[in-house]
Amino acid sequence: MSVPRIQFASEDDVPIRYMDRTREYYQTLGFTPYRWAHFTDAPFTPLSTPLARARVALITTAAPFQPEAGDQGPRAPYNASAKFYQVYSAPVDSKPDLRISHVGYDRANTVPEDVNAYVPLTRLQDAAAAGRIGSLAPRFHGAPTNRSHRVTMETDAPELLRRCREDGADAVVLVPS
Amino acid sequence: MGLAARHLEANGIPTVIMGCAKDIVEHCGVPRFMWSDFPLGNSAGRPFDIESQAQTLALALRLLETAPAARTTVSSPLRWTADAAWKHRFLDVGKLSPEEIAERRKEFDVVKAVAKAKREGA
Repeated sequence: MSVPRIQFASEDDVPIRYMDRTREYYQTLGFTPYRWAHFTDAPFTPLSTPLARARVALITTAAPFQPEAGDQGPRAPYNASAKFYQVYSAPVDSKPDLRISHVGYDRANTVPEDVNAYVPLTRLQDAAAAGRIGSLAPRFHGAPTNRSHRVTMETDAPELLRRCREDGADAVVLVPS
Repeated sequence: MGLAARHLEANGIPTVIMGCAKDIVEHCGVPRFMWSDFPLGNSAGRPFDIESQAQTLALALRLLETAPAARTTVSSPLRWTADAAWKHRFLDVGKLSPEEIAERRKEFDVVKAVAKAKREGA
């Protein structure tokens, strides 16, 4: 008697192990491996304002287009000269031209031609218009992609907190690219 | 981004991260994580697909409201492609020749020098 075949997903259809893949890649190139931030616990603050009345802020790692900083187009190779090392802020209604040539996104599988796939600014504006969130904070903020954990923790994160408080944010959506 | 979310949260502001690198974000340990099994660079949904982007944000907002504890991950039901072939193509060193490896090493040295100059000039 034959047992009905169970249709499991393919064995390799699992989350990509980015840390292993990246470690192996840079070791093959002859570089020392990067150490990723790691904690076994995490802080937690429940949302105390109903979302329909909450002011929501957006933080992105995308960079404003810099005319002098070389190729930042959707097919640009990794472009370190387009990186930024200080927190920046810009009005959410300024239609910002935000690019990601300065980070290691998946260049083998995607072409970042639609900013809405990596910065949900317009979708958040839709959510505010629909009353799903109370409002979008007046500015969004840019977080540097610094390899130094110390700079991120001691300089950039406190600066982002300061700016989110200044804007009266009740909650924050953070979107790495 | 994980470190920034932790800092905001520790200081009383609830956060949600939208992202694709499940292992990296969960390794950091963050309050709330909306995960899409999409290539890095598509944290907010599929390009030119408003429905996909709206659905991803809607789940992130639900997560913000309903997470019962820290380190809660919600997985998007959306699929990048029907099969997993794309997952093998990210930083695939197996396919590189020694010449290509040397070339990429050189390129990375240049990139590092550019980043260093920019950082120190900043």
